[in-house]
Amino acid sequence: MFDLFSDIFTYRDNALTRIDPRVKLLIALAALVAVVSAHRPILPFGFFILCLGTVAALRVPAKLVALRLAAPFSTVAVLVVIHTFVTGTTPLFALTIGGWTLTAKAEGFWQGLFLGNRVLGALSIVLLLGITTPAHRIFQALRGFRISEEWVEVAILMYRYIFVLLDRVGDLAAAQRLRLGYRAPRRGLASFSVLAGATIVHSFEQARRTHDAMRLRGYRGTMPFGPFPALKRRERGILLLGLAGILAAYAILEWGVAG
Amino acid sequence: MRAVDVREVSFTYDDGTEALAGIHFRVEEGEFVAVLGSNGSGKTTLIQLLVGLLKTNAGRIEIGGREIGSLAAEELYQRVGLVFQNPNDQLFAATVEEDCAFGPRNLNLPEAEVQKRVTESLAAVAALPLRGRAIHHLSFGEQKRVSLAGVLAMRPAVLILDEPTAGLDPAGEAQMMQLLKKLNREEKMTVILATHSVDMLPLFANRIYVLDRGRVLQEGPSEEIFCHQEMIVRAKLRLPYVSRLMYEMKRHDGVPIDGLPLTIGEARAQLLELIPKEMILPGIEESGS
Repeated sequence: MFDLFSDIFTYRDNALTRIDPRVKLLIALAALVAVVSAHRPILPFGFFILCLGTVAALRVPAKLVALRLAAPFSTVAVLVVIHTFVTGTTPLFALTIGGWTLTAKAEGFWQGLFLGNRVLGALSIVLLLGITTPAHRIFQALRGFRISEEWVEVAILMYRYIFVLLDRVGDLAAAQRLRLGYRAPRRGLASFSVLAGATIVHSFEQARRTHDAMRLRGYRGTMPFGPFPALKRRERGILLLGLAGILAAYAILEWGVAG
Repeated sequence: MRAVDVREVSFTYDDGTEALAGIHFRVEEGEFVAVLGSNGSGKTTLIQLLVGLLKTNAGRIEIGGREIGSLAAEELYQRVGLVFQNPNDQLFAATVEEDCAFGPRNLNLPEAEVQKRVTESLAAVAALPLRGRAIHHLSFGEQKRVSLAGVLAMRPAVLILDEPTAGLDPAGEAQMMQLLKKLNREEKMTVILATHSVDMLPLFANRIYVLDRGRVLQEGPSEEIFCHQEMIVRAKLRLPYVSRLMYEMKRHDGVPIDGLPLTIGEARAQLLELIPKEMILPGIEESGS
């Protein structure tokens, strides 16, 4: 579970980790807009391949990438299945389950694939951003863009305490397992519900203690942040280049400008 | 000047548990005072009252000569700082630097002053190399030191620590106590430490308060506290291990020991006096010390 949230790759020194987080965030945002607004599958798929290729070049273990993409892949599978059986008119094949006949349709299948493509493209952009930028730098960048202080503060605290709660839940789950709490499915379900309840109680207690600690250091409702330096010339160049690249790709692949 | 003055203070929780019953507690400026007590003795309640997290039911608390209720939060937390037992309760920012800067920035200090305080407080706890690290990548010992740095950045006159050595390995425990000793002796900071760990206290504490079920059983320097064996047992505490050994040797083996040594140094000196000089090989004594 810890691997899912691990940020050790963001602390490696490489060309992407050295770029200012504001630049990366703006480029990622532009890429997300391009993917979400695309009308053809090639652009989202192109981003998906580009991001995965970059992640591989950064030597991030394939197991970790697969783990992080497992949820998006499941979403894509569900999207494709639903659209295949619900949308369209041209039959592909039919399935009979318990007297019910479900007909898969070609239009739905392709529409599902296209939407799934968008999901994968968008999430691979977020994956790459998350692998090259520590979370606290993203939060700082958000503050630099004048995003609501409250939202950023909640995001910081959530991120910080994910690891604390994961540790605690891991210990509780291990303690349950050592006392055969997950021996049978029914017992496992009961243990899991106790674990979930205990996690909620722990998070409330943690929140109270953390709030006390914040008050003792002068907290008055907003978390103060340090100043953000202006973007350097090189960073501005990277930003312009990135945005121009995305615009060019969009123009060629969506509007067919080159053709 | 009295740094902390607690008079006739009582506190009862909403569920009716009486945590403190009319206690008196005084700490002079520059003192190193330990509050010793078993679990549930009222140590944590006392320190939460001292920093204003709880309000007394009866009695009066003065910090630096001012009644605690009359101090604005900003003023109070520059007079008194609390280091929590579990560093995870206290380290809420993403990085060490951000966490240490939290307090000074809340004081609306100029950024240059904030950075100066961050550097100084991290240097004081030997954690400067950790400055850019993410909190969740720190070891427990490092987290403890960084949480202390976060409080030091507020520059409190009185530093209160709840079980500062809990969960630390022996080397970490010794390092933490040496840090506190340095802050007390060199920076002249008043230190109040709540603990139930007795072995290191005689080396550091000027005075000890022993708490049991919300009452002060005894107060005084360590040599005075630890000679009251019955009181120590009643408070569900124990003697430092070296004192226990010497006590058993005196009681069961008739070894003529004066008083009760509280540290290894004191015990060694007494034993050396009892051993005939010709039995001591100077070279071995030198290299073994």
